[in-house]
Amino acid sequence: MQETAFAAASPVFTGRREYIVEHFVKLANFATVAKYSSLFAQGLLVTVLLSIFTVLIGFCIALVMALMRLSDIRPFRFLGIGPDGYPREGGALAVLSRFNPISFIATTYVEVLRSTPVIVQLFIVYYGVFGMFDVPTFTMFGFIKFNRFFPGVVALGMNSGAYLCEIIRSGIQSIDGGQTEAARSLGMSQVQNLRYIILPQALKNILPAIANEFVVIIKESAITYTIGVQDIMSAVNAVRGAAFVITEPLLVATGIYFCLCFPTSKLIAHFERRMSHGDKR
Amino acid sequence: MATSGSLIRVEDLKKHYKGGAIKALDGVSVEINKGDVMVIIGPSGSGKSTFLRSLNLLEEPTGGSILFEGVDITKKKYKDANGKSVKLNVDELRQKMGMVFQHFNLFPHMTILENMTLAPIKVKKMPKDEAERKALALLDRVGLKDRADAYPIQLSGGQKQRVAIVRALAMEPEVMLFDEPTSALDPEMVGEVLDVMKELAKEGMTMVCVTHEMGFAREVGNRVLFMADGQLVEEGTPEQIFGSPQSPRLKDFLAKVL
Repeated sequence: MQETAFAAASPVFTGRREYIVEHFVKLANFATVAKYSSLFAQGLLVTVLLSIFTVLIGFCIALVMALMRLSDIRPFRFLGIGPDGYPREGGALAVLSRFNPISFIATTYVEVLRSTPVIVQLFIVYYGVFGMFDVPTFTMFGFIKFNRFFPGVVALGMNSGAYLCEIIRSGIQSIDGGQTEAARSLGMSQVQNLRYIILPQALKNILPAIANEFVVIIKESAITYTIGVQDIMSAVNAVRGAAFVITEPLLVATGIYFCLCFPTSKLIAHFERRMSHGDKR
Repeated sequence: MATSGSLIRVEDLKKHYKGGAIKALDGVSVEINKGDVMVIIGPSGSGKSTFLRSLNLLEEPTGGSILFEGVDITKKKYKDANGKSVKLNVDELRQKMGMVFQHFNLFPHMTILENMTLAPIKVKKMPKDEAERKALALLDRVGLKDRADAYPIQLSGGQKQRVAIVRALAMEPEVMLFDEPTSALDPEMVGEVLDVMKELAKEGMTMVCVTHEMGFAREVGNRVLFMADGQLVEEGTPEQIFGSPQSPRLKDFLAKVL
């Protein structure tokens, strides 16, 4: 047989191959996993719902944070004018006059959330914050436990809000300053300028980046199984506990995650190309 | 009280940077009357644009005053007719000053008609159908009625600038400010924009125009200002400025551009 000939030529490889067949995956074990397919189906739904809600919450947080970061609120502005009537060029008073507490809060939020592990944030939110009071324990769709799902969404949403904040901020800053000048010279207020001129253009530009964040969240949401959210990873864990197989359910999970993320990112890339094409018309 | 004909009175306007080391505007005083077509010329970096942009507070001057309809708009508060202190509403002020930019600054995500009706509807609270009717009438005047539903990206530079002019006119301003309106245009499109501006001047619109178009300055302007190094060097009728320039700075400038 071809395999034997190959084995004679390369005994080391065959050894590894047999090892893989014996110890890494067994086809029979996939049949075991198939018995738990409803768990994976539920897990898939949970993962998708979790990701959608996370991006929605994350986007709302991010929009507020981005506007806070771009705000121009300087309570100590008056300290920046020197005795000669000109703005100070340097020194402690000049620094203090530029201090924007609102922007400072948002920047702190973004930097802290971006510089700490998601799992730490998840545990703080679940055990620390939601541990302080009773979260209603009803189930959605008959299998999503709200008291696990909701803290998971909040924690991931806060994390993704920090990343989306930077995306939105760069989107707003990418709009030409002439747009604001034109809007303001027509008598529009700062809020009207933001609402009708800046945000519609900025959001259109960053839509692909937001969709990419959605793909990232699908993958990142896997860690919520550690607080008992019944997502795809939790289905893997259930199979491991019940049937004592781990590699095969993990491969199934890999397949599901890949089938979710790969087409989504290709779809985004497609629309991104089409939209940029429209701009050059 | 402002004099009857005076619309804007600028007194000793200053814009200094870096502790006074850079003087973009260094004490400019001028009076703009109703119906004036004031053309500002001068070498680049002379403070022409800064001066123009200060008039509707896109630039905040660091000194001096601008009296618009008798109110000093460089101060945050002013006293009304009854002597009561009122906070200056910059948005309301800007409605009375239309501005046209070098790079048009049309809103690319809106159609031409939406570009023109947005401010009247949202700022002046004009009913939508009335705003659209007025916008279409204005577009008709500049020969672009059939492009009302197009997007800015589908228009040529000259068409964009004509839309930008009527977009500002849709707010029915007291004065129109033009910041080098033809500088970003291909040469063959300059004429169509200048024609619109000439017509506007003929109708009696008060205009302040920063431009490099000496022909326009001579033909349409009733007053010409020559600025250099942040200062108003010479002022006069087009005949005076172009026919018998006094200062060496102006003579030098005209020798280069004419």
